[in-house]
Amino acid sequence: MNITKKIKILLQEAELYHTQGLLNEAMEKYHNATKLIKSNEQLKSNQNLINGIINKIRVLKEDIIKIQKAPKKPEVSAEVQELIKKMCSFAPDKSEDLKALDGAIALAKFGQLKRAITEFNELIKKDSLRVVAAKSILRCHMALSSMDEAVTQYEQWISDDIFSTIQLDKLYVFLENILKKEGVDKKLPRRKAPTVNLEPVITRLGTNVVQAKEPEIEDDALDINSIGITIDSEPQEGQVVEFKIRFQLGNIITLLIPIRDKDLIKSFKVGNKINDIQYYSTTALFSGSGIVTLVKEIKIGPLRGDYCVDIEIVVN
Amino acid sequence: MAIFNIKKRELECKIVYYGPGRSGKTTNMEYIYKTYKKQVVGEMVSVDTEGDRTLFFDFLPMGLGQIKGFDIKVQVYTVPGQVQYKSTRKLVLKGVDGVIFVADSLAVRREKNMLSLKDLQHNLKEYGINIVNIPLIMQHNKRDLTGQGVPVMTIEQMERDLNRQLKVPSFPASAIIGESVGATLKECLKLTLLSLKKQIKSG
Repeated sequence: MNITKKIKILLQEAELYHTQGLLNEAMEKYHNATKLIKSNEQLKSNQNLINGIINKIRVLKEDIIKIQKAPKKPEVSAEVQELIKKMCSFAPDKSEDLKALDGAIALAKFGQLKRAITEFNELIKKDSLRVVAAKSILRCHMALSSMDEAVTQYEQWISDDIFSTIQLDKLYVFLENILKKEGVDKKLPRRKAPTVNLEPVITRLGTNVVQAKEPEIEDDALDINSIGITIDSEPQEGQVVEFKIRFQLGNIITLLIPIRDKDLIKSFKVGNKINDIQYYSTTALFSGSGIVTLVKEIKIGPLRGDYCVDIEIVVN
Repeated sequence: MAIFNIKKRELECKIVYYGPGRSGKTTNMEYIYKTYKKQVVGEMVSVDTEGDRTLFFDFLPMGLGQIKGFDIKVQVYTVPGQVQYKSTRKLVLKGVDGVIFVADSLAVRREKNMLSLKDLQHNLKEYGINIVNIPLIMQHNKRDLTGQGVPVMTIEQMERDLNRQLKVPSFPASAIIGESVGATLKECLKLTLLSLKKQIKSG
């Protein structure tokens, strides 16, 4: 094939890839054509041809820059936000509250932070989700680059009656650690625990004085929503199975394995270390391992027959 | 995961169009939206960015009418194909019941097709789904570009690359002119409903 024909084919391909939106492929073809022209004595003096290709490359570059500069997570319409919520809470076996939490988390993941804050504020009214929702609100404020807003929100919660002192302490530790990491020198206020006047307790064996204890404050563990574990027993050996987290206390997470998935229980033995666990939180995904601390069959209630598994998070 | 509401006598399932960027997922959906008016029960929603690239997803609600006294509702989604939207693709895939993989017939996109199929397999695995167990249809799109002066893969080559092990139903298609768009979706719906029926029977 002669060189002119080769160049013609390359330019034709580049043009088609450009119309298909395959910009990198188009760019490569234009560059290949340019190289061929420059390697040919007769053609390299054809300024019209060279200028034509330079012009095409310029337009292509402009298109690439436009795409690169486009916002990655723009604020979308309320209708689309509703759809995001619905799409990510598409689970028939979950309570309405947990579905709402999934929806709010999805909004945050899709960058719809203001709307997510509104949703999390609704979830604060639910006792079981209060701290998770509050932490998510603080994260959303920080993602919006408004550290001050996060602090103001926390201060507002201190003066409200919604949170218990223990819950506020958890939020205090959570926010303080983040402020430290971000290098923000800000002294956060704390709500004082009500003073309890404890009388010494007299027992038959002697006299014990019970000290008024500070509320226990958990470590600043990330709230984990779900984990992915590679199953090491039949029949799902080698498959990654995702488990939703039912409860979390510090770095101990609790998952529930329904009776229908009883075979999976063989993968969890108390004291065993599970390697390569994917931990999914509202804001991050990280790998780690975990130690199984409890495997227990639920004997009573609507979840009778299901298994409860506690795992201690070990971050690699 | 389909929602089976016995009280309302309703079954709602989710179909996702997957595939590399610019392979024609949105074009498939646009054609369905324009053509199957009777089955489309709402507006098509698209969240795209510069150059008509899907940013979050496209969504189309459909209704298939009644089957054995149950209203069948289908949520159809597309994922963003560009490599950098991995986490978004995973989110959109959540609760999926059936997948249509739209592959690009252009030879320059051969590697991207394979990487995207691998990405689908990985994301499904993260939800505890084995790719061989989910209703999956392969669509070899952009067949209209054959003879347009650009290298286009043969169907045999695409089958070897993408479907040698899976052996799922596949369709040569041209979404831009609507060729095989309906057939692809119908086959996926058929397999999905059969799979759901099996799941319901096995409790």
